[in-house]
Amino acid sequence: MLQPELDRLRTEGDVLVRSCGDVCPTSETEQSEVEEGNPFSFSPRLIHLHKDHELFEDGDIQRHMYLQDLYIFAEDDKPSLSVSEFACHISGCTTVFSTLQEYEHHYNSLHRNVCCSCHRSLPTARLLDIHIQEWHDSLFTILAEKQDMYQCLVEGCGQRFRTSKHRKDHLIKIHKYPQDFKFDKIKTDRREKKRQQHKDTDMEVVDDVCVSEGVCEDMCGVLSDQPEQGESMEMHMTDEDTTGMAANIEDPSLAVHGTTSTSTDPLKPRYSYRVPANICFGQASVRGFRGRRGKRK
Amino acid sequence: MWRLNKVRHKAGRHGDSSEQFRSKRREQENALRQARRDRQLVSKRLLLNDDEEHPEVTMETNSAGQDVVSLFLKLQHSGPEKEADLKALSKALRDPSAQLTFIKQGKSMHLLVGLLTGSNAQCRLQAVQCLHELSHSPHATVAPACLPVTPYLLTYLSGQSTRFTELCLYTLGNLCPDSDVVTEKLLAQGIIPALTSCLENQRHNLALVEAVGFTLSQLLQNRDAAEKIIPKSLSFLPSLLLSVLTPDPQFGLAPAIECAWCLHYLTSSAVDGRVLLCHGALLQCSSLLVSIGGVVADGKKEEGMELLICPLLRCVGNLLSSCPVDDLIAQVDDVRLPAALCALLQAYLHTQPALARETAWVLNNLTAHSIEFCSALLTLNLVPGLIQLLPFSQGINTMILRVLANIAHKKKEFCVQLIQLGLLSALCATLKMADPEMVTLSLDVLFMLVTSCPQVTEEFVKQGGLSLIEAIQYNSEGEMRRRAAYLLEHKLLCECESDCWSALR
Repeated sequence: MLQPELDRLRTEGDVLVRSCGDVCPTSETEQSEVEEGNPFSFSPRLIHLHKDHELFEDGDIQRHMYLQDLYIFAEDDKPSLSVSEFACHISGCTTVFSTLQEYEHHYNSLHRNVCCSCHRSLPTARLLDIHIQEWHDSLFTILAEKQDMYQCLVEGCGQRFRTSKHRKDHLIKIHKYPQDFKFDKIKTDRREKKRQQHKDTDMEVVDDVCVSEGVCEDMCGVLSDQPEQGESMEMHMTDEDTTGMAANIEDPSLAVHGTTSTSTDPLKPRYSYRVPANICFGQASVRGFRGRRGKRK
Repeated sequence: MWRLNKVRHKAGRHGDSSEQFRSKRREQENALRQARRDRQLVSKRLLLNDDEEHPEVTMETNSAGQDVVSLFLKLQHSGPEKEADLKALSKALRDPSAQLTFIKQGKSMHLLVGLLTGSNAQCRLQAVQCLHELSHSPHATVAPACLPVTPYLLTYLSGQSTRFTELCLYTLGNLCPDSDVVTEKLLAQGIIPALTSCLENQRHNLALVEAVGFTLSQLLQNRDAAEKIIPKSLSFLPSLLLSVLTPDPQFGLAPAIECAWCLHYLTSSAVDGRVLLCHGALLQCSSLLVSIGGVVADGKKEEGMELLICPLLRCVGNLLSSCPVDDLIAQVDDVRLPAALCALLQAYLHTQPALARETAWVLNNLTAHSIEFCSALLTLNLVPGLIQLLPFSQGINTMILRVLANIAHKKKEFCVQLIQLGLLSALCATLKMADPEMVTLSLDVLFMLVTSCPQVTEEFVKQGGLSLIEAIQYNSEGEMRRRAAYLLEHKLLCECESDCWSALR
């Protein structure tokens, strides 16, 4: 197994790392065993704490309270132990949670089925597929001129329509969707804000991630030239059952293809996330951020 | 007398002024924290009389001042009620403003020195009581005024009267940290040899052991101690302190507490811990921790035990960091130490989280380079308990995860066992935590686990691990992103890509 190394850590501002010379080899031998580009650098290390180290603060205070006859031996009624919080990893999404469940719910609702091109978040994978087709697929536009391409949003229905208006009527009449159901997600233009936010994150993994059959790359290339479109997704947190298009979902974020206008919709997002424009989950991506799939060449 | 088993009663008796007491406590605690940040953490101790419950100032300020002056004048004229007057004076000097008044009187110290060295034993006792009150003064001008008496106090350390010697010791202990000038003088006057021989000669008198321990700790805590005091003390002091370290069941923990703190100051300041190792410090401190751990595990922890456990943990932790790997087993000699540490962790987790954190630190140092102790943690079935501590913050979970990482790092077989004990699911939670250090460490551990047992990848994916790692690729911390990307590329995706695709479609 890997040879040990001996480190010493002095007071917080003053880190002194030494190899222990006569007893064991330095860490360089470890590194040579490991492949290039491997970012994992953990190795067990001994930690020496100077008497003024901050880790010792509470114990020192306790000692001095005892010396000054102020120490309470009986257990204090206030619990002082705290539990770690969870936080969403997506850069720019600063939401914090106190339970795992909240984290899961947040992530699954807001970051899972996200459109690579316009960063909109869809409640399910199927709706994401439909969205990408209808919004970002030029082939779709061409075919739609001649065929019924707009699928019914209700899973299992299977019907297709010539225009999104026809589909909407179908959904209202046949599937009893409410009249004011938000079919048409209006694009708003929030370029400025998005631009600034993106500068903060320095994403390095672009090359690794976007391994595709060429289509997605084009998309990515296109994207980086274009100004930001669309907007942060507005997913209102509804109580559960986001599987499929249940009526409690207010906003499927499907927009009629071709609609561009300023927003008359004053929806305030409760959560927003930002992903830099030059990041796309291409074919190599497994979940979450879907771009064009390889099948569409 | 100052005894740990009596302090408990003291705290209880504050009765209806307990809210006042608590707010005074909080204030004082904040003041102490600030003082520590300024590297000026110093405390004085007041030795109460047998008949006193707690250190209250019973007289009004003005009258105390008057009393002091009039008493002083009476004493100067050496009347027949010298003893009674002196006693009254010592009571009056409990009040801080009276203390100031007293030292402003011309030749007040001269008077006390005279009484201190006189032929009347009672007067000597009361004189030193007066000096003790003065040494406890919050005013910065008072201690330097007491300097003329210190040579005498030092001489009396080899005397025979317990109460008298105790008062001398606590007085010296209160005086020495007040200023560098005072400390210098005391060192020059030979305080260290005096304390050492007192401890040696009086080691069976536990009240004096406690007093010497306190005074020594005041000296060793000094910020210049590492250069000026400790090097000279290293040859004889450690073994002396170690010889009185074991607590006496009847007398209580107090003397052991003081000596343990002295040892902590020695080990945490000493540049080379190996000298201390030679004295058997690690052996003894770790054995003591093992026996305390046993007591705690049986549910019999004494009140105030944490005051002893804390410095012992620190000694063991720092000594471990100086101990060469090959010597470790010889020095620690007890495979029950990990069990004792885990017992302490569980016992104090909720009431003293800082102590739990320090215990976890010691576990890290114990397991860092030792296959034997890592193996012991597994064999003694201590790992599940550790995994259950991973939700707790304030530095506890990061240290515990470090310990688990130490174990995983040693051998493939250990990784297998860790996985069987549920570390993987625990990682699925820790990878979502807000603390970046936790996430980075978790990624490191995950890497070790999947490298040792590639078949665990499948299980990890089943638990939703893949989307988790993907999400981490979007984290603002580069360290995390790089690790996540590497894991996906080299370990997770290539293993099961086809499975995943089919699962997702």
